[in-house]
Amino acid sequence: MIRKTIFAALALSLSATVVAAPDSYQDAFELNRAMYGKGHTFVWQGKEYSTDHPEEIEAAVEANAANAAALIASAKAKNAEVAKLNFEWKLTRDIIKKAEAAAAKGEFRKALNLAAQAKYHARMGIEQYHYAQANWHLSVPE
Amino acid sequence: MKIKTGLMLGAALLTAGIVQAADSGFDLETVNPEADRKALQAYFKERFPKAEIEDYVNGIYAVDAPSREQWEALEEFPPYEFDIEEGERLFNTPFANGKGYADCFENGGIGIRHNYPYWNKEQGTVKTLEMEINECRENNGEKPLRWSKGDISRISAYMAWTSRDMPINIQVPKDDPRALAAYLDGKKFYYTKRGQLNLSCANCHLQGSNIRVRADIPGPMLGQTTHWPVFRSKWGEMGTLHRRYKGCHRDSRSRPDQPQSETFRNLEYFQSYMNNGLVSNGPGSRK
Ligand code: HEC
Repeated sequence: MIRKTIFAALALSLSATVVAAPDSYQDAFELNRAMYGKGHTFVWQGKEYSTDHPEEIEAAVEANAANAAALIASAKAKNAEVAKLNFEWKLTRDIIKKAEAAAAKGEFRKALNLAAQAKYHARMGIEQYHYAQANWHLSVPE
Repeated sequence: MKIKTGLMLGAALLTAGIVQAADSGFDLETVNPEADRKALQAYFKERFPKAEIEDYVNGIYAVDAPSREQWEALEEFPPYEFDIEEGERLFNTPFANGKGYADCFENGGIGIRHNYPYWNKEQGTVKTLEMEINECRENNGEKPLRWSKGDISRISAYMAWTSRDMPINIQVPKDDPRALAAYLDGKKFYYTKRGQLNLSCANCHLQGSNIRVRADIPGPMLGQTTHWPVFRSKWGEMGTLHRRYKGCHRDSRSRPDQPQSETFRNLEYFQSYMNNGLVSNGPGSRK
């Protein structure tokens, strides 16, 4: 997401103290994710966390038909949720279709990763919706 | 269908608003369409001091000189001329039951475009011209037309043509709070960031107007709805405003709404209100 890139750019241009002390878990996560990508760990307020998205953690299971089907189903459900809020992203349905196609061909690892991506899109859309309810007025020039 | 009480009311609103720069807000208690409209015009006056407010009906061509030259050359032989003629023919062709479009609209459908969209109190919803074209058909036993292009855009083009230069006249009636809610919903949609790119309409057409975004330069928010339907070179044909809405909604990498959804109608209502004081100049041509 754009926000992430901007955040990373910002972080790089700021002093080390700011980088070391994001004031929410979310900021800390996004900062570390942007700087190190997935598969890393970081410490925030004395505890260790992964830079993986929850969906990526969900996808890190045995690559088999049942697990792929379960994650695809849960991605679909999340996407139905965001669609109801009218914040569905453009590519999500296609990604789910690709996940289903991969699963049908027995490519379960690929299917899991795609389903995780789709579910992530859906979750971000839902976050965007909630953010907008409270903050849309900030973009109206006064 | 649309009752012509608007003009007088509109004039009253205009004079009332000039007296003080009223504030507007973001909820039903505080939102004030007239203050919004003035603030938007003031914003563009300051942003592009050389552009005349009347000229915003010409979109990006009001503020970008190089693309204006191309467009003026295009308008010498307007690409929508044939569609107006065809629209007139369709408009005047009776339905199977002998009735026609003229029977469905105020003043026989002539010179009414500038009153659309409007709040329909009985139905509790925003009505667009295209919507009423299709309702007219269905009420007379005809199949509805597809929303985005083709005959509906031709009929709409002809009706717009008969309203050329009439001042846009959108009302948010005070006697029905749902009208203001629809306006607010449109406003909120325009300013809300969405999609994978986390972009709002305003990001491109307000803050970003006349600033190159990839290969394109988004035009100003003011005047975006005055000239529809449009013959767009990229489409190679006419299309309706909601066709364009859908494309732009998709440009934020969202799954877009469908033409004539409540969301898009409310959006058109809000945007058209912003254009009060400009003239209706459809159909138009764009790149
Ligand atoms: C990524 C930038 C971007 C976003 C976001 C965007 N647009 Fe556009 N839009 C453009 C560009 C570029 C054009 C073509 C130049 C022009 O005519 O403004 C355009 C054209 C239009 C037009 C036609 C203007 C005319 O004069 O005919 C309308 C209407 C419009 N956009 C509405 C919207 C709405 C509503 C949204 C939000 C759902 C939106 N746009 C979001 C870039 C954007």
